[in-house]
Amino acid sequence: MNSGMIQIKYQARLNNFQLAVDICIPSSGITVIFGESGSGKSSLLNLIAGFDNAIRIEAAQLSLNNTVYDHHENKIRLKPWKRNIAYVFQDNRLFPHMTVEQNILFGFSRRNHESSALNKNDLIKKFKITDLLQQYPSQLSGGQKQRVSMVRALLSSPDLLIMDEPLAALDYASRQELLPYIESIHNELTIPVIYVSHDIKEVLRLADYIVLMNKGGVVAQGELSELCVSQPLLTQAEGSSFILQGDVDVAYTDEKLLSVNCENETILITGEGFKAGDALRILIHAKDVSLCITPPTDSSILNCVSVVIDSIVDNAHGKFQVYAKLGEQIVVAMISQRSCKALNLKAGKQVYAQFKATAMLK
Amino acid sequence: MDNALLDLAPILLTLKLATITTIVLLVLGTPVAWWLSQTTNRTKVIIESVVALPLVLPPTVLGFYLLIALSPQGFLGELWSVFSDSTLTFSFTGLVIGSVIYTMPFVVQPLQASFEMVGKPLQQAAHSLGANPFETFRQIILPLSSRGFLVAVTLGFAHTVGEFGVVLMIGGNIPEVTQVLSIVIYDHVEVLEYEQAHAYSAGLLVFSFVVLLLTYSLNKKLMIRL
Repeated sequence: MNSGMIQIKYQARLNNFQLAVDICIPSSGITVIFGESGSGKSSLLNLIAGFDNAIRIEAAQLSLNNTVYDHHENKIRLKPWKRNIAYVFQDNRLFPHMTVEQNILFGFSRRNHESSALNKNDLIKKFKITDLLQQYPSQLSGGQKQRVSMVRALLSSPDLLIMDEPLAALDYASRQELLPYIESIHNELTIPVIYVSHDIKEVLRLADYIVLMNKGGVVAQGELSELCVSQPLLTQAEGSSFILQGDVDVAYTDEKLLSVNCENETILITGEGFKAGDALRILIHAKDVSLCITPPTDSSILNCVSVVIDSIVDNAHGKFQVYAKLGEQIVVAMISQRSCKALNLKAGKQVYAQFKATAMLK
Repeated sequence: MDNALLDLAPILLTLKLATITTIVLLVLGTPVAWWLSQTTNRTKVIIESVVALPLVLPPTVLGFYLLIALSPQGFLGELWSVFSDSTLTFSFTGLVIGSVIYTMPFVVQPLQASFEMVGKPLQQAAHSLGANPFETFRQIILPLSSRGFLVAVTLGFAHTVGEFGVVLMIGGNIPEVTQVLSIVIYDHVEVLEYEQAHAYSAGLLVFSFVVLLLTYSLNKKLMIRL
């Protein structure tokens, strides 16, 4: 096995749905699998975890820490309880008849912990569940349940941690509360994590490595920093989004404004907690980008950058997606067919892109 | 009150039959219910239908075929004769076999329903934490199915106590061997001994009511905390 990478290879069929995945992900850090619902993310997770939900496997290969989990040709497919893979489910799946303490010890008590770097008491403290230990899951809030379920998974000392949209069922406040805990898994533990999400903000905040899935296949994969500049992240729910990377030039703390240098253009965004020199990622939704032929004046929109149109794609919903280059990075604008015609937009043309930056991340 | 009215033998025999039948059914019915709750096999509907047959068949039909199967010439009777000199028909053992078959759906169905309610998701969670199917069953499924077991035991026991047709067909009416409560009541009514029939009937009525009452009130306390 190539140390440093985990090879995951599956080919399977479920009724009319065909899944074909052959990826190598880093053996540390968080790999986010990103895609619309129905793209095959859950099927892939079930295959990795060893759950056989009536799916017909045509090819499979997975090894972790020198143990072969799946090898279709050699007829190896380890049962889920023999795989050292822990799972954090979207619906937490805590055992309702057990206290929090019994829940977290369920996996802990049956694994060998001598090799584990995890300390039970540290983890309980870090995830702030000390006061919850004697309570039953029904007495906990959604966020607390998910914290317990993360501790339960981690305490089984897994070789791989799978997190299947762990925040999707929670409200906004709970999601914000939980993200730092997931980041701490990332920063302080060496366990590789496969994190499935369709929320672009989670992807940007958590991902080291990203796998884009669509219709049962892998569209693209790579380090987030490389991938997001070469390819817009597509989601149905939010429309297309893209990321610009830059460095903070000036932080205007009184105005809560940051001036960011991105490909020698200046972008202003609201934000705190950054200082000059910090690298950051700016998330922009394609529908928030407008294009003009001449640089606009007197606009309330702060940002206007000069770009060169690369290609124009008809998205078949009466909208065009215009891909334009800002230096090495890509800006995507979602505009109407009519505007596209009126402005006579075509590849190679230089235009000005105006946008509001909607989110920014470390 | 004279002795004839207070003959305890049928009552004890009925309780013994119901207890043994219930225990046998828990041992046999639990794996059947578990298999039915888990399988996607096409034979599932066949087994489900077979288990449910006693719900729709007249007890006499079942009793008739059991009588044939249990008789020394029948296949169960012949098998039995290898191990024992006695016959199955008109014996207590025969009665237990008949009761087990006749009461099967009352135990299997509530168990199957409660296993299905615990569901795959919690099993997968347990598996992902390293618990094999046996440990998962013992630590997750069983405790979360306690209500199902309570209902299964109550219904199984009560239904065996109330059995009449099958018992009459294969057990006959032998005092202290196969003469259970329902048969004794029938006997008394036939010879117009209404006073005795009343005593047993009222006793059975009160007993059944109390058992169900206890079950339903216990049931609330056993509510799974979700």
